[in-house]
Amino acid sequence: MAILEIKHVSKFFGGLAANSDVSFEMVTGMIMGLIGPNGAGKTTLFNCITGYYPPSRGEILFDGHRMNGLNPDAVCKLGMARTWQKVRPLAKMSVVDNVMVGALCRTNSLKKARDIAMEKIKVVGLEKRIKVLAGSLPIGERKKLEVARVLATKPKLLLLDEVMGGLNPAESEEIIQLILDIKNLGITQMVIEHDMKAIMRISDRIVVLNSGEKLAEGNPQEIVSNKAVIDAYLGGE
Amino acid sequence: MQNMRGMSTLPVLLTVVAVIALFLLPNFVESTYALHIMILIFISVIMGSGWNILGGYTGQYSVGHAAYFGVGAYTTIVLMQYQHIAPWYGVWAGILVAVAIALIIGSICFRLRGPYFVLASIAVAEIFRVTALNLKKLTNGAEGILITDIPPFKIGDIVITDFMSKIPFYYIGLVTLIIAIIVTWLLQNSKLGYYFQAIREDQDAAHSLGINLTVYKNVALAFSVVFTSLAGSLYGLYVGFIDPTTVLALDLSVQIVMICIIGGIGTIFGPVIGAVVLVPFSEALRSNMIAQALIDSGLVNENSGVGTFLKEQLSHAHVLIYGILLVVVILFMPDGILGFIRKKLSAKQRKEAI
Repeated sequence: MAILEIKHVSKFFGGLAANSDVSFEMVTGMIMGLIGPNGAGKTTLFNCITGYYPPSRGEILFDGHRMNGLNPDAVCKLGMARTWQKVRPLAKMSVVDNVMVGALCRTNSLKKARDIAMEKIKVVGLEKRIKVLAGSLPIGERKKLEVARVLATKPKLLLLDEVMGGLNPAESEEIIQLILDIKNLGITQMVIEHDMKAIMRISDRIVVLNSGEKLAEGNPQEIVSNKAVIDAYLGGE
Repeated sequence: MQNMRGMSTLPVLLTVVAVIALFLLPNFVESTYALHIMILIFISVIMGSGWNILGGYTGQYSVGHAAYFGVGAYTTIVLMQYQHIAPWYGVWAGILVAVAIALIIGSICFRLRGPYFVLASIAVAEIFRVTALNLKKLTNGAEGILITDIPPFKIGDIVITDFMSKIPFYYIGLVTLIIAIIVTWLLQNSKLGYYFQAIREDQDAAHSLGINLTVYKNVALAFSVVFTSLAGSLYGLYVGFIDPTTVLALDLSVQIVMICIIGGIGTIFGPVIGAVVLVPFSEALRSNMIAQALIDSGLVNENSGVGTFLKEQLSHAHVLIYGILLVVVILFMPDGILGFIRKKLSAKQRKEAI
């Protein structure tokens, strides 16, 4: 069953089409990789899906709801959560408080929120850092904190924007494991990533964007052998 | 953030002792001047705590809180002087009017972020000041309103107080202050407190975590305005005179912010410390106490050029010295006095641990 349907979505900034006529579907439980060269419109698409921009044209359906015009907070309440390419820790709050803010989306009780937070912190492996201020964490742990925080909002669909960006290979490997663990929890994920090896490993399907348009869609094997994709990345004639 | 169990017993004990001492104080202090200073401190703490909820916890730096201070003061006092409505009802009317106005302004101004919000808040307060100056029928314009007398507070036929001395204002101020601190503490330990701080730290992140920014900013503003308006009403009743240049001035807006910045914004006791430092300091400057003390101590010769200069000019320079104080605090104690003390304490603990 399709959890997310993107139907002919376009987003214009003035005359510039950051996304034009992008369509695809996501099935519950899958990991969808979203790739493309810089400026291809990946983050813009994320912003349209999660309510930061209204799409200029087209329609986004999530879990049966029409998402156009919803605000990010309403999107989150419906069960769709995102992380940020540039991490956004709540710097002067502790790790557990950060995750509790996410958990409070589903409960009014601080005690319940703390329990949920501790559980999610365990999932990402930050148990030893709960009392540390989020602003003083190194980048790898900040990325994990973001994931714990969105997990605490009890999402059905998670959108991860370059969670491996700026990490060393060992840290990236941990994140890959984390994404696969989250898949096992039954949460559907859309992942933007530049690390091709990683994206090929974790994705069930991949959508390739180029200059705002959908260039290709398929499983990882199809994508690596797709001529248009190779041209876009390596530069063809 | 502290939770209930995480609070150590010493600060709680100190607070309880301080509160008891403050309740007993008027029995031992004869000086009305000392009581006067205490009442001014109380009012400053109340308005500081009010600002702190919006500025300190939610990160929306309003430099226009004099608007709500003034609206509270004017509503209460206009109702009392012209409609003969007793101030213990008028105060609530003041809060209602101030909150209603604040929510209208908030839903417009909260679209702006950072410095743009600050500028808008200043502009709004100036609109109120100029309006009060020109709405002569309601506010008596620049002449202000002089309170002729406050009706005695009765329950049945028993007169509780006739407001003839400073004592009733002292106790009303003290109780309101305690309520302000308790409310701040309750907020800090609630979902609202978490949401306010999340908005302060990163609005976009907060938004993506299911926090409706407009709603929660306005909730913070409403809490903030309740105490600011209360402080305004109390001030007007206590001083017995209000005019636009005292209760609606930019000076006042800045002072409210300074109380919090100097004490430590986003902390429960920051406004208390800020007011305790700032109010006596500005009173000492205004009444020429500092210049006189310098002369009396023999540091400065009264008849020398410096002596006459200080005597004549220092009392006018309190705004200048405020400014210097603010720069010093921001340079050396960016988290305010309370933040500075906390940092020193935790550094000491860490040293001891090693």
